[in-house]
Amino acid sequence: MIAEINSIFAEIGFTFAEGPEAETEHYNFDQLNVPKDHPSRDMQDTFWFKDSDVSEPTVLRTQTSPVQSRYMESHKPPIRIIVPGKVFRNEATDATHEAQFFQLEGLYVDKDVNLGHLKGTIEYFFGRFLGGDVEIRFRPGFFPFVEPGVEVDMKLLSGDSKLTGKWIEIMGAGMVHPNVLSRSGIDPAEYSGFAFGMGIDRLAVMKYGINDIRDLYTGDLRFVNQF
Amino acid sequence: MLISYNWLKEYTGDTTETAQQAADLLGAHSFEIEGLEEIKGDTIIEIDILPNRASDSLCHRGVARELATVTSVPLANDPLRNTPDLRALDTIEVSIKDVEACPRFTASLLTDVVVKESPDWLKERLESIGQRSINNIVDATNYVMFALGQPLHAYDADLFPQADGKWQLGVRYAVAGETVSLIAEGGKDEERIIELQGTELLIVDNSTNTPIGLAGVKGGRFAGVHAGTTKVIIEAAHFHPTITRKTARRLGIVIDASKRFENEPSRELPPYAQSDIITLITEIADGTYVGTTDVYLEKQKSVAVSVSTARVNSRLGLSLSTEDMAAILRRVGCDVTAAGEIMTATGPWERTDLLIEEDFIEEVGRIYGYEHIASVLPAVTTLESINKRHYYLELIRDFLIEQGFSEVITSSFRKKDDVQLKNALASDKSYLRSGLTTNIAEALEKNAGFTDLLGTGDTKIFEIGTVFYTENDVVTEHVSLAFGVRLKASGYSGKEDKIIQTVIAQLNDKMSADISFDIAKGIAECNITELLPSLPEVEAYAPVVPGKAIAYQSFSLFPSMSRDIAMWVQEGVTRTEVEQVLNDAVGSLCVRITFVDEFTKEGRTSLAFRLIFQSSTRTLTDGEVAGIMEAINNAVAEKDWEVR
Repeated sequence: MIAEINSIFAEIGFTFAEGPEAETEHYNFDQLNVPKDHPSRDMQDTFWFKDSDVSEPTVLRTQTSPVQSRYMESHKPPIRIIVPGKVFRNEATDATHEAQFFQLEGLYVDKDVNLGHLKGTIEYFFGRFLGGDVEIRFRPGFFPFVEPGVEVDMKLLSGDSKLTGKWIEIMGAGMVHPNVLSRSGIDPAEYSGFAFGMGIDRLAVMKYGINDIRDLYTGDLRFVNQF
Repeated sequence: MLISYNWLKEYTGDTTETAQQAADLLGAHSFEIEGLEEIKGDTIIEIDILPNRASDSLCHRGVARELATVTSVPLANDPLRNTPDLRALDTIEVSIKDVEACPRFTASLLTDVVVKESPDWLKERLESIGQRSINNIVDATNYVMFALGQPLHAYDADLFPQADGKWQLGVRYAVAGETVSLIAEGGKDEERIIELQGTELLIVDNSTNTPIGLAGVKGGRFAGVHAGTTKVIIEAAHFHPTITRKTARRLGIVIDASKRFENEPSRELPPYAQSDIITLITEIADGTYVGTTDVYLEKQKSVAVSVSTARVNSRLGLSLSTEDMAAILRRVGCDVTAAGEIMTATGPWERTDLLIEEDFIEEVGRIYGYEHIASVLPAVTTLESINKRHYYLELIRDFLIEQGFSEVITSSFRKKDDVQLKNALASDKSYLRSGLTTNIAEALEKNAGFTDLLGTGDTKIFEIGTVFYTENDVVTEHVSLAFGVRLKASGYSGKEDKIIQTVIAQLNDKMSADISFDIAKGIAECNITELLPSLPEVEAYAPVVPGKAIAYQSFSLFPSMSRDIAMWVQEGVTRTEVEQVLNDAVGSLCVRITFVDEFTKEGRTSLAFRLIFQSSTRTLTDGEVAGIMEAINNAVAEKDWEVR
């Protein structure tokens, strides 16, 4: 499925980027404008490596967003990347939450990037991925690394699948926070960008109607062989 | 948070919107709406307040103010715009040790109070949002918290000792080993003594230096209000959100008050809350207001932000005029002056989240409406680079799938391995996998029993994933590839390694490479990260065949049973024909029919099939399956086919 996602984004110039799963606190939190005392840094929410095993505070990345910062540090705009990858959260598992899951990050930084580009990009992706016309809507959302932040809903307009005609929450997104740009060496007065992040598992759930996300990680062929 | 629509109307006045319409508007422009429920002539809206709005909107006034902004109808009654009429008091003294931890502390004195049941309207208000009525004083503190977002605490002034004719309240950090007695959960009358470690912020009775409450987290039992109370001290203060959160989390106390303190309501708020509760206690408990001590050591600074209208439009993808934007920001309650293309905006004091230009851009965008933003596909460009790892992993994936392997994703956590996490989810998941071989072995073991059910002869799986280990005492990771084969459910047969060798040879052939794998008991693993630099650079991705439409079906967790059936059929009878008859006869519990073999002897053809039975709701019995088999045999006999 990642190959399919990548090929759709490649059509509109998004490069496949990657980063480590054992990520420093610096990239996982500081660079992303997550306040020092933010609850997400707590042990209850994040897996931490033992201090004796690492040279600086390190976590199992809680999001693919640290790759945004790593990429911006080493590349000049225009930047268009997607980052599919595994992420980890220290939370109890149930049918819709897993301690480990796959996320898809997107980042576009250039002159005069705006929320309309975000809408257009997401619409394009879902239209191609689900094979039909889709409508995208934004609602207010909050994530420390974007401002404005939005929740993105999608409605499949065509076809007769279970998804057709219903608004479905699909991702969090927004305009990259100026602190994130400047911390990564990009002048927020000159450039702007959008970023989005969504669960790839969620994409699988939408496309295939899977009911228990945990099945994705059991290595159970009763599950796997259906794909 | 639960919001009563009737309660909102105390601030908005009569609205033209139904509760549903109001919720829809708030959902589109302000917050996340979780649901609506009609209760006794009221509608309760469950709202998820976004983290950046929790400082001003975890209360009815905040939500009402938001509705006023969205509908562009000003509030009929805004308690935060009536200047509090409080008078100074010299009988309560407050000393604060750490200004940052507690920049403001207010305490009011009311006398001639009668503690009794709350009036019906107040009980109803609290009950509508799931709060239990206790008595008029406690209810008043709760009511004002849910109305304005400021937590309050009431003491019986007669039980509170005085020194030099004054009540002496203090705020200081705890000393390790000190204890404080807290109010029990659910208003129960029992002691809950907490031993402190020294990081907690305390409210103390300074006359005796006794801890009387965990600041921002929970009130103490000290000088509690009871049926005979006639004189009350009402406390409303501002505490540092992080100190509050850390103590609350550590002690597992997450209550309405601590949740609000953690989100740092404006430090301007306490006098407004005092004003409201004084009015309320005067009304419902016959109290007489004496005065308020207000120690405000570090004032909130108002932040004037320069907002360029060109920037607002260029970030939102809109083309609004300066007047339009200024009007929207004024609806939000901002003070705005515009000079050409530059506005200077200051948020209302309770909106402590409006600090930078982007915050105001968001206000314009969400209030104007994100639906007005038109989709624009960024101009198509060529790909800057090809991801080499992805390219080669796809190549390997496709190859292995062609060879009959299924891709699995197993857990990154293990019970025992090299790298242990500082904090684990569970004791059997506290290490990270250092390789994939063990996980593949477990997955083979698990799946080997499903070959009949799945209609696959053997079990072949592979995984591509990150593994972790220490190298020179530092955590290191790489991407690993492992694949494994199992021929028999009973276990490794010894013949698997040969198959593995063949697959590796073919893979090397296909990739024109010489990848070496570690092979153990039918499982091969190699380090992809290390391999990549030696592989040729790539210039384009292989074309991707769009995913076929798959209707996933949940699988049963109950065991399956298999039965074989073989029969002689007349010449000319096709396998499809037989399968059709079987299909019609097997019933819904048969989940798979697998063709086993076919041979012809003396003008007759023998066909054999394996039938797999499984229920999604229970374990099947032998008798049940025998009954189905009998029906199948009958159907076969009717065709004059002879069951062998």
